[in-house]
Parts: sequence; C-alpha cells; structure tokens
Amino acid sequence: MNLLRLSLRSARREWHLPELRTLAASLVLAVVALGVVATLAARIERGMLASAAELIGGDIGISSPQALPSTFADKAREDGLQITHAASFPSVAFAGELSQLLDVQAVDPRYPLRGKLELRDGNGLVRDGHGPAAGEIYLDNRALVALGLKVGQPLQLGGRDLVIGAELLRQPDGGELLALAPRALISLTDAEQAGLLGVGSRARHHLLLAGAPGAVQRWQAWAESTALPQGARLITPGQTQQRMRASFDRASAFLRLTAMLSALLAGIAIALSAQRYARRKTAEVALLRALGASRRRVLGLLLGTLGALAVPATALGVLLALGLAQLAWLLASQLFGSAPTTLPFAPSLAAAAMGIAVLVGFALPPLARLADVPPVAVFRQSLRRRARRFDGLYLIPVLVALGLIWSQSGSLRMAGILAAGLAGVALIAALLAALLLWLARRIAPGAHPALRLGLAALARRPALSVVQATSLSMGLCALLLLAVVAPALLQGWRQELPDDTPNWFALNLQDDQTTAFAKDLATIGGNQLNTLPLAVGKLVAINGRPLDQGGLADERAGDWANRQLRLSWSAELPPANEVVAGRWPGARPAQAEVSVDTSWRDMFGLKLGDTLSFSVGEGRIDATVSSVREVDWSSFRVNFFLLLDPAHASGLPHTWLASFHLPRGQTAQLAQLSRKYSNLSLVDVDSLLDRVREIVNRVGCAVRWILGFSLLAGALVLAAALAASAAERRHEAALLRTLGARRAQLCVAAACEFALLGLIAGLTAALGAAGTGVWLGHAVFHIEHFVPPIGPLLGGAAAATLGVMLLGLAGTRKVSRTPPMRLLREG
Amino acid sequence: MSDFFPLLLEARDVSKSVIGPEGRLEILSGVSLRVPAGGSFAIVGASGSGKTTLLGLLAGLDTPDSGSIVLNGHSLATLDEEARADLRRRLVGFVFQSFHLLPALTAEENVMLPLELEGSSAARQRARDALDAVGLGARRRHYPAQLSGGEQQRVAIARAFVHEPRVLFADEPTGNLDQRTGHHVCDLLFALNRDHQTTLVLVTHDGALADRCDLRIELEEGRVLAATGDPA
Repeated sequence: MNLLRLSLRSARREWHLPELRTLAASLVLAVVALGVVATLAARIERGMLASAAELIGGDIGISSPQALPSTFADKAREDGLQITHAASFPSVAFAGELSQLLDVQAVDPRYPLRGKLELRDGNGLVRDGHGPAAGEIYLDNRALVALGLKVGQPLQLGGRDLVIGAELLRQPDGGELLALAPRALISLTDAEQAGLLGVGSRARHHLLLAGAPGAVQRWQAWAESTALPQGARLITPGQTQQRMRASFDRASAFLRLTAMLSALLAGIAIALSAQRYARRKTAEVALLRALGASRRRVLGLLLGTLGALAVPATALGVLLALGLAQLAWLLASQLFGSAPTTLPFAPSLAAAAMGIAVLVGFALPPLARLADVPPVAVFRQSLRRRARRFDGLYLIPVLVALGLIWSQSGSLRMAGILAAGLAGVALIAALLAALLLWLARRIAPGAHPALRLGLAALARRPALSVVQATSLSMGLCALLLLAVVAPALLQGWRQELPDDTPNWFALNLQDDQTTAFAKDLATIGGNQLNTLPLAVGKLVAINGRPLDQGGLADERAGDWANRQLRLSWSAELPPANEVVAGRWPGARPAQAEVSVDTSWRDMFGLKLGDTLSFSVGEGRIDATVSSVREVDWSSFRVNFFLLLDPAHASGLPHTWLASFHLPRGQTAQLAQLSRKYSNLSLVDVDSLLDRVREIVNRVGCAVRWILGFSLLAGALVLAAALAASAAERRHEAALLRTLGARRAQLCVAAACEFALLGLIAGLTAALGAAGTGVWLGHAVFHIEHFVPPIGPLLGGAAAATLGVMLLGLAGTRKVSRTPPMRLLREG
Repeated sequence: MSDFFPLLLEARDVSKSVIGPEGRLEILSGVSLRVPAGGSFAIVGASGSGKTTLLGLLAGLDTPDSGSIVLNGHSLATLDEEARADLRRRLVGFVFQSFHLLPALTAEENVMLPLELEGSSAARQRARDALDAVGLGARRRHYPAQLSGGEQQRVAIARAFVHEPRVLFADEPTGNLDQRTGHHVCDLLFALNRDHQTTLVLVTHDGALADRCDLRIELEEGRVLAATGDPA
C-alpha cells in the first residue's frame, strides 16, 4: 500500500519530465492505432459476413445428401432463429418436343431469409419475391430460351405440370458466378409430392437459418459439436464469396500492417524514453539503495510509477480508439448495408492489453537494470552503469515485437517477412553507424572544424549514436513502408482491377458462334474479349481406381467426385496462375496431361505422375498430373481447378466461355445481342467488381488515416531519440560555450551530426522499405510484378535526412542557448 | 602591484541581483577590483557570499546589472554573448570544482576541445604536450571515469592551459580533492601561472590557497568585506 502511494506520488512529481510524457504519449498512440484498426476490422468482418449472408440466403445453413434430422431445425427454433428448408437436384424439364436438364432448387415460401430473390413477371415488371407457390416454377433466361417458353406457359418437371410464374433474374446462390445448368426454382411441396426428394434421389437438402448474431453463433457452436449426417456440411457466410473474402483479407492485412508498424514505432519511442528515464534516475536509485531500499523495493517503485502513468494513458487510448473507430464506421458503414451497428469493445480492450505488453516489453529492461545499481554507486559514477556483454533482458522487447507482429499480421509468413525486414534494417543501420563512428575517429582530425565537431559529437556517444541511428532507421523504415510502399501496393492491387477489367461472362458459346460473337461484341463497344473452352465432365478414377469405390479421406473430395466438373485447356499458363510443382504441359505432350490446383492436390492427396480419368459426354480421357498450380482466386479472371493440354482435350465436347469488358450504359445493346445468340447465358459481375473496388478505395482512405498515427509515432521516436541525448548535449553546449564556442559553430556541428545520422537512417530505411515491400507484395499480397517506387523512396530518404537534420537543429537551438553560467552553478 | 604591471582585468562598482520566489535578491553590490597581468587573485568568502557569481561576471559568462568589467582592454558590457564567447576562446581558460570533463571523450580528446574550437591543426600534439606537462602523458587514452579525482582535475588544468590563455579562472579547484591532492593541483596551477605568465583568478574556501595569491578579496553578502594587496 505504501509502495502504491509512493509510486503515485512519484508519478505525479515526475510528470513534468519529457521522457515520461513521451512514454505516456507513445502508449496512448499504440493503443489507439491497434484499437481503431482492430475495432474497425471486427465491424467490417461482421459487415462482410452479413453481406455474404445475403448471398447464401441466410446467416448460416447446413447442406446434406440425406434429409436432415429434425433436431437441427428444432434447436434453431429453440434459439429463436428463423428457418427455411430447401433442396437442390438436377432434373429434366419437358415442354412439347423440347427438353432441358435444369439445376432445380425446391424452396419453401419463406425463402430467402436474407438477400433478394429478383423476378420478372409476364408484363416485364421486375420485383422482389419469395419461394414460388405450389404449382408454380421460376426459370432463368437460359432455361426459358432452351425450352422456347415464356412466363405464364406450362411445362412438365418430375412428372408434374407446372406454370412458369416468373423469370428468375437473381437469387441468393452462394456467390457462385457460373452455374453449369440453367436454373429453376420450384416449391418444396411440389418437389416432395413428385417424389423428387425421396430415397435414391440425387438431391441435397438444405436448412437455412437467420437471426440475432448471438443466437446464430450458439447454433453454430452446437451444430459443430454435434455429429452431422454423413456427407453433411455447414454453409457459413465466411466460406462464400471467395473474391470478396480475399479482398477483405487483403484489406484487413493492410490495416493491421499499418497499425502494427505504428505500435512498433511507439515501442521504439517507449524504449528510448525508458532508457533516458533510467539514466536520469540512476543517481537517485543509487541514493535510495544507499539509504537502505532493497532492489525489489526499488524495482517495485519504478514499475509502480510506470503503472501509475500506464493506467490513465491506456484508458485514454481505449476511449480515443472507440471514438475514432465509431467515426470511421460512420464513414464506411454504407459499404455494408445491413451490417450490425453495435460497437464492439473487445478489440479495443485487446489493444489495451497489447499496448501494456509493448510498454512492459520495451520499458522493462532499462528499468530492471536500473534497480541493479549498487549502493556504492553513490560514491563512484563509474559504478552506475555496468555494461554486460550479453543482457538477456533485452530479448524481451524483441519477443514482444515478434509477438505483436505475429498477432497482428495473423500470418506467420507476413510476420516473418516484417520481422526479417526490420531486423535487417536494424542490423544494417547499426553496422553503418559503427562504420561512420570508426570513420569519424579517423577523418575528424583533418576535417573542417564544424564537421570535426559534428563527427566528434557522434563519436563522443558511440553507443547512443548507434541506438539513435538504429531506432531512427527502423522508425523511418516503418514510415516509408506506410507512406510510400503501402500506397504503391494498394495501387498495384487497384491495377489488378483496372477500369476495363472484364465485367461480363458469356456461357454456352458454340464453336460456330465465336467469330461472329466477337465481331458483334466489338460493334457495341465490348473489349478485352477472352474465350476459353469449357467441357463438363466427372472425375471417375484416380490411378485407375474408380472413385465410386470410395476411399477418399477428405470429405470435400467426396463431394467433388459427385459433382459435374468444369474442365478447360490452354497452351499458355493463364495469368494469376503459378506453377509450384512439375512443369506446364508442352504444346503437344505424348500423352494427355493435366495441371491441378493446389487445393485439389491437397484434397485428393495427388502427386505428380498420378493419372486422373474423366468422363466427358460419351468419352473418357486419362491424363497424367504434370504440374500443380497456385491459383489466385481473388483475381477477376476465369480460373479452373483442372487444366488439360489442348492437344488431347480439344476433341472433347465443349462450349466456349467468354469474358469481356462492356462499358457501362451498353447493357441494352447487349440484351439485343443476347436475343441474336439466344443460347447464350450472360452473367454480370459489375456489382461484385464495384464492391471490391470500393473496398480497395476505402482501405486506401483508412491507410492514409492510420498513417497519421504512424507519423505521430515516428515524430515521437525522433523526439525520444533526440531527448535521449538532450541532457548530455546541454552540458556539452554549456561547456563549449564556456570555452568560447560560437553559437554558429555549435549549430553547424549539430547540423553535420544530425545530417549524418539522418543520412544513415534515411538510406537504410529506404533500402529496407523497398526490400520488405517487394517481399510483402509478392508473398503476402500476391501482387504480380510489384516494383517498389524507387524515386519516392529515395525522395523519402532525402526528406528524412533533411527532417532529422532540421528537427535535430530545432532541438539543439535551445541547447545552444544554454547559459554558460550553468556550469559554474553546477559546481 | 598594479602600479608596475599593466591591468588585465578591472571591475568597477559591479552589482548583480536575481528575481527569486521572495522577490529581488541582491547577490553582488558595488564590487570593484583590479587584477594585473600575470598575477594571481583569490576571491574568498562563505557559501552564498557571491564568489561564483563574481567569477562568472569577470569571465564574461554573465553580465552585471550595473557597473563595468574590462578584460584585456575589452569592456564586456559593450559585447554581446557571441563576442564574449570569442573573447573567452582567445583569452580565457577555466578550471571547475567538478572538473566538467566530457565522459565520452578520452583525456586527450577533452584537452583538444579548446583547440578544436579554434580550428587548430596541431590539436592532438599540443594536447599531448599539455598532458605531459601535468604528468598524465601515459593516461591520455583513459576516459574520465577511469581517472581519480586528482587526475581528472589535472586533465582539466591541461585543457585550461593548452591554448595558452591570458587568464585562467578557477572555481574551487581543490574543492573536490583531498588535502594532499589539492596541494599538488595547486602547485601545478601556480607553476603554470608562473611559467606561462597566465593571470590566475580563483574562487576558494581554502585559506592556505588564498594566501599563496598575490591579491585577495573577501566577500560577505555580496559586498567586499576586506581586500589584501590593494586589489580595488
């Protein structure tokens, strides 16, 4: 209790010390940066999930090859959730002489619980609706064209006569861009009465749920702990919308990166301030020890003082973080229309904990060593600081920094790259500084007096000069990463979605239509046309072993084995694909070859040389796995899990899939064109593209915003680095003034000293930021051919040199005015 | 003495006061003195009598509220701080009670400082010579923390004499030293004073040290209580 009172008193008395103020400001800044980003990320994630829920038709669901036991629906009702049942299956529809295989979904009248079912009735009016009534069917344009029908006309499906109630324009469909077969929506009652869902049918049964987030989470936790029926799986919004997900993940990574670098900068400022505080307190601690205070008591008092500062600083940081996150949310929330609006507190509290960890991690070593000052040091100054060859305590900030990088980046790879980048910068800066000091000692005697004094000033504090150069380099590197590299990465990301990114897909193009379609498309302003062959088949055997004999360990693999697969072929490796094992098939391999995506390799446990057998139409093709590809699924390109070699695959029955860009406002002309090619099915991905672009732009804004924190943190590092030597500088300035130094002499010397320090820091930081940026761009953000902006980086380095010099001079101006009488007063 | 030697330093009716928490506090009042070139001059008095303030004013480290100080023919009142710094660099050396050596510099580098400020090209060699002169040639690469108090003060004396100033101001030069070491340091100061004809102005509590000076004044509450050798 006494210790607590003493600590509080000490904190109150010492609050005027600049290093304690810097320390408290750094802590506030770390908590704010981490808290704002974490709170915003949590809310955006919720918004994303809510937005994705609109695409699956509910907040969560379960899909099963057999009818689901009623316990799942009962539990949902118990939890107060809304439920809707659905089933999907392939079935053939007949209309007169025409027939067509349809991808049928049978739903109840409550469908969809989330999102919109967009319909066009017989009068051409577009409206939102729910599941069809018994006796009704909704068909998409492809089905209507294939069967030669219009809204209001009858057809037969599963032995029942149904009337087309509306054209199906859009439905929550799990975000799948390209459905294979034309779509139909019927009533669940009809499907049941027609016996389409009975034993032996190929139907998948779905239960979709919606409700309060807490209730959904409870149900999900219960379902995950319950034995699901064989082949059943949960459908969560998080699994859907791979592209949106990937965009969000990148966005989140950018924001976390900026927040983490700000926190690290704050950590450096804390370390420097704590170091200075420890130096200032050395004589006092020696006196306390001489007066009988135990080491433990001294340490308790120091930590107590730190705690007395940390508690209000952290609380202020949390409040600011919540306020700023709320403000940012008000600006960003329209991106996620139906997102929940509650402000989550947990991320800010977690940020507070991280801030405390940063404070303790970075401030503890010098304070703990301070408690080691022996009582006899009151007599001899030389005993006050005992250097150790290796001090294990200084591993603590390294571990805290690594922990922070890991926890914030959420990826070991990103953590590793950043840690290696910053460690490299620190090492190079320390080496350069040591080299400069070595040179200083040799050059100084023959140099210009001002430069000599500047070099002498650096050489006078070798340890501090190295610490200053290193911390400034790391701080500047973090700043350059944020100010120059992050925007360039964002620009790179943006360039992946240029204005002419393909925004339409055309399915079902026939061999004899491709040339005419390309010509017609060009006349209405379509461009960037890219056509790929598309065959639909099934995987029937691996290495000659039929898949219907089972034996697939991965449940997802079993699921794929039952599905129709899209196969394509290409002589060239498509963009956004990278061969990670084996080699890309040559133009004419001796036998059929297939390239598989990494997720397929993992699901099926494939290795190079395995043989996959596909049935396509009436034919069959056996292809050897000759390469494995890493596919960037977030790219807005048509990608395939399986790519065959063209020499062996081009004979397979296939249609063509076209992707192209159509300027906005040309949709009416495209609709006219689609009537000419009535078999075509057109898919518009503009809205999805718009969303991703919006995310990129908003992330850009947020990064700039958070950059403000980082700049503040950078300024704190610089201030702390300068303050670390301020006392010595003042003493030196007073002595030199007493010995007759002119103010100009002191200023030029200081300019030389800080310019050299700034030059080391600026160049090392630019080098480090460029290297880390290239590495991050390639390995984490998957931006192809990312070239760091060398010009702006060098400009940044020059500005940093100038900035350090000017700030150093500004700091020294006061020092150079130290009255020389001070020396006499000090004895 | 001043009748035979030219004056190096003269103070006339010098007063200095500061504003404290309890209002104006007079530190010096109407102090006058004359120091001939090459002589030695002691300022003695109890703690708080204004000795150090007077030393600072005489050396041009501060300016009086009233009165005038002339150093080597230059009236300090007419000079700004920059000009006074220039004068100090050319004419003045200092020795402090707490030595005031820069801890990160070796003994040799500390001694080089005044020469570096002048831009002297032979700074290192002259610093070595000065250290040899105070008997510390073998310790030139030692840092202050590796030297005893007496050795540190000898380094400070070498620094004070290395650029051959006309006048040396010493503030309690033996205050932090034991009697024997203090005696040794005093011998050194007076030997250099004699050999280089450097005027010595020192502040001390030590009566024996003051007795070795040609002239002395005793201050009490900022006023000259007594003068020996007609310094005023």
